[in-house]
Amino acid sequence: MELISSIAGSLATPAVLFFVLGVLATAAKTDLRFPEPLYTALTLYLLVAIGFKGGVAVAAAGLAAVWLPALAAVALGFLIPLWTYPILRYLGRLAPVDAAAIGAHYGSVSAVTFLAAVGFLQERGQPFEPYASALLAVMESPAIVVGVVLGRLAGGTGRIEPAALARLALHEGLLGRSVFLLLGSMLVGFLSGERGLAATAGFFVTPFQGVLALFLFEMGMVAARRFGDLRKVGPFLVGFGVVMPVLHGAVGSGLGAWCGLSEGGAMLLGVLAASASYIAAPAAMRLSLPEANPTLYLTAALAITFPFNIVFGLPLYAWMAGLWYPGGAA
Amino acid sequence: MKTHPMKRITVVCEALARERITRLLAEEGARGHTAYPVTGLGAKGARDGDIAESGNIQVDVIVPGTVAERLLERLARDILPHFATVVYESDVRVLREEKF
Repeated sequence: MELISSIAGSLATPAVLFFVLGVLATAAKTDLRFPEPLYTALTLYLLVAIGFKGGVAVAAAGLAAVWLPALAAVALGFLIPLWTYPILRYLGRLAPVDAAAIGAHYGSVSAVTFLAAVGFLQERGQPFEPYASALLAVMESPAIVVGVVLGRLAGGTGRIEPAALARLALHEGLLGRSVFLLLGSMLVGFLSGERGLAATAGFFVTPFQGVLALFLFEMGMVAARRFGDLRKVGPFLVGFGVVMPVLHGAVGSGLGAWCGLSEGGAMLLGVLAASASYIAAPAAMRLSLPEANPTLYLTAALAITFPFNIVFGLPLYAWMAGLWYPGGAA
Repeated sequence: MKTHPMKRITVVCEALARERITRLLAEEGARGHTAYPVTGLGAKGARDGDIAESGNIQVDVIVPGTVAERLLERLARDILPHFATVVYESDVRVLREEKF
């Protein structure tokens, strides 16, 4: 019951309502389109804002508080493609290279879903560790590397060049656009501390929820434009795109509680585990595992899992996280 | 005014392949190119261009006929098997032959 009222409550937030409005705008074939540079600008703002705040929080909490949850996030990133692979390969009867590529997407993370989760917690006034943006940064790349290795071994060429793999790991782990933005802004936040935050709060903190709502409006349209591809991917992948996030959300939030995060922090790790990448992972797969079919992984991540997480997943993972805390489950 | 015959090669492909294509052009002796984001519909589905990374680009390059031959061979070998791509060649006439 609490879960149902929680889902109903979160549906009536500006972020989710704007997301749904975006879906409707595309479904109704309005000619509404955000200019492409706006998409890029909003992402940039949101990543810098949470990176910066996260860096200030790391400075306050000390690096010692961050390493265990970060390790848990990296471990999840490495492991998720390993257990999704047999499911996709044998239950879903997908080609080896497609199973590997989809696993990479689900092990990696969606920054937008994480941002929406941060907005969700802020809206409810529930505290969380602001340094959780560090978890987002470290969890983007491990699954991509594992997915490429799996795909090369199982399908593709069967060849792995260590140098090319190291280049990929370095590029995705440090120099990928979103990772670089996040880690870079965290460093700025870390060095400038509370005073820096106070000086820039009017820009980086106060407008966050509004910008997020605007961005989710756009994302509703982006996701809905791919709904037509649902017919191409078949019922198995649609089911996979809904069931796996729920399982991963349970594992992630449990792991978050185990490594000492607050209830809000555990929910965020659950969200990271549940989310699927639709920018970094597809780009890496096109370049490093071109044999994999992009329609499958992009549709699963962007047209199925992403909308599911935004509308139903966030309250669900918050509820799951609450189960680990006495008196929780708000 | 005097104009000179040249070949224009146009590559429409995934934005992700941009770097590979421009590197290939330079290796085969093209002295420049023009690239722009485009949207449309092809064999691999609609290219909306709402997310720049999964959108399409068009690359135009103007080269002498001999270079065009080599370029087409390289594109067919290195790009076509891996990326959703359309390549075509056309005859153009340019001013200032020496620029190409």
